[in-house]
Amino acid sequence: MPPLLQIHDLKTWFPITSGVFSRTVGHVRAVDGVSFDIAPGETVGLVGESGCGKTTLGRTVLGLEPRKSGEILLGGTPLWPARHRDTLPLRRRVQMVFQDPYSSLNPRMTIQEIVTEGLLEQRLIRPRDRADAAVRLLQEVGMEPSVLHRYPHEFSGGQRQRISIARAIAVRPELVICDEAVSALDVSVRAQVLNLLIDLRASHNLAYLFISHDLGVIRHIASRVVVMYLGVVVETGSASEVLDSPAHPYSRALISAVPVPFGESRKRTILKGDVPSSSNPPSGCRFRTRCPLALPECAVRVPVLESVTPGSTRQVACIRKNEILDR
Amino acid sequence: MNTLLDIRNLGITFDTDEGPLKAVDNVSFSIRQGEVVGLVGESGCGKSATALSLLRLIPMPPGRLTSGEVIFEGRDLLRLPTYELRSIRGRRISVIFQEPMSALSPLHRVGAQLVETLQLHLPIDTRTAWNTSVDWLKRVGLPDPVAQMRAYPYQLSGGMLQRVMIAMALMLEPALIIADEPTTALDVTIQAQVLELLREMKSKDASLLLITHDLGVVWELCARVVVMYASRVVEEGPRRDLFENPAHPYTRALLDSVLSLTGRADRLSTIEGQVPSPLAYPAGCRFAPRCPHAFTRCRQEQPPLYTLSTDRHSACFLCDKHPTAHTS
Repeated sequence: MPPLLQIHDLKTWFPITSGVFSRTVGHVRAVDGVSFDIAPGETVGLVGESGCGKTTLGRTVLGLEPRKSGEILLGGTPLWPARHRDTLPLRRRVQMVFQDPYSSLNPRMTIQEIVTEGLLEQRLIRPRDRADAAVRLLQEVGMEPSVLHRYPHEFSGGQRQRISIARAIAVRPELVICDEAVSALDVSVRAQVLNLLIDLRASHNLAYLFISHDLGVIRHIASRVVVMYLGVVVETGSASEVLDSPAHPYSRALISAVPVPFGESRKRTILKGDVPSSSNPPSGCRFRTRCPLALPECAVRVPVLESVTPGSTRQVACIRKNEILDR
Repeated sequence: MNTLLDIRNLGITFDTDEGPLKAVDNVSFSIRQGEVVGLVGESGCGKSATALSLLRLIPMPPGRLTSGEVIFEGRDLLRLPTYELRSIRGRRISVIFQEPMSALSPLHRVGAQLVETLQLHLPIDTRTAWNTSVDWLKRVGLPDPVAQMRAYPYQLSGGMLQRVMIAMALMLEPALIIADEPTTALDVTIQAQVLELLREMKSKDASLLLITHDLGVVWELCARVVVMYASRVVEEGPRRDLFENPAHPYTRALLDSVLSLTGRADRLSTIEGQVPSPLAYPAGCRFAPRCPHAFTRCRQEQPPLYTLSTDRHSACFLCDKHPTAHTS
């Protein structure tokens, strides 16, 4: 099956300006050469710590941030920049669910207005069918039709996130980008929303780009995982491969750092120091300053993301990956 | 082990525009000397209000103490004159807050804030206080401590600031450290560093009250666990026993909703419905509307905290060994 979304060598840089003339003195390389595909109906989990560029990547795919270079293809068609009148049909195919359900819903719009705005904008329904469409959407996300004329502030975080999801699926997109969509929710509500996303994926044949720092959530929803560190992909593969036997030293440290109840305390790799600044990333491998396995060579050579065995979808950007996997 | 802190029937109500909001309702538990106790629950369950009230850090009004006492070293913290309380705050009981960014003053250098803390409580000169502070920053693993002393909080990362907060909380060697979600604002690799640090740095006789919603963190650090739901304690017990044999349906559901990293279920087990609003708690057990085991009695009476064995308590009628007996 041809990929639904192809990202090729994508770079999103933000200028750092200084002085009265706002001279550009450098760039924050938020996304610095990222490539991966998403197949129709597939869920790709994008993981990494804050500042690794995962949110910027999601926003760039959606056209909310301008890219510096690289290609984003949706079903073979370049996504941005398209001529303005061509962007409307593209926006119908990619939708987003944001992290914070408190700031991502317009407080002055009723629930009906929020969930049907996209449908009207895309001319998929007539204005007089608005209420019917809204009722149908709310039912799909497990909410009562009685809430139609209420406002976002009347709802809890979990319910607001259901409303956000209803808004996203309203225009029948093929890809939904979920940026930390369940991170702000309490555990008991988080499971409800995850189950809803899993159900909708099946009923609407949705593909998700699921951005999260929570590896437990990724394990349950994603079939494939992409691990980012400081703007680059360090490892990718099926969710079970990457999370059960990570091959990149960063993925290993990240996974071992998650505190999990039950069982004996595991031996964990504790990384030293903080993530370096993405305006001035380390030479060679970007992880080498915190890597417990770094060699002098890591400072010189930029590791390329390559398959662990020829033809495998499991790719790792580390010069010592084979040693790690053999152990 | 001796009891260090004893919270008895604590009740705190906030007066809001919509009416009185019961944030903490009849909460009792104790902390022994040298013990690490985890206070667990979802947002709004009253865990932070409980912890902050121990040092009277809750603004009153709108907050109001409705009942209870907190006995620490023979004195009731809730009724102590302010000047006496000041000698306990920071010195005998210290707090590590959730957001180090907002807990430190943005206008003062890190060093000045550490030195001030020391000089407020100890009769030492600035030079000694400065040296002690540098020493502590070194002990919490901050690189280049002298430079960090001269830095302003905005110049440090979240993980580094949390280390500063930990140094500040530990350097007066308090008997009790209250850590309110100390790692929630941090990334997971930094969280691992901070948890390791807390474990190492806490001296043997100091007690730690760890407030968190993360059961993984509780499992790693705590000896005993207190679970709160809708302003009340629903279960209490030693860590392993509570995790392996939860007695309250809420604890069980909470443990079931932990996502494993190694396995994967087709559907996640969920707790149906939502946490009730503190402005309108149901009569009877507050978990009853979401509880798969609820029966008539649960909707009529509030279950008391039953004692299952020493140290093991649960507020569920299913734990009532004499169901016909009268309960208050």
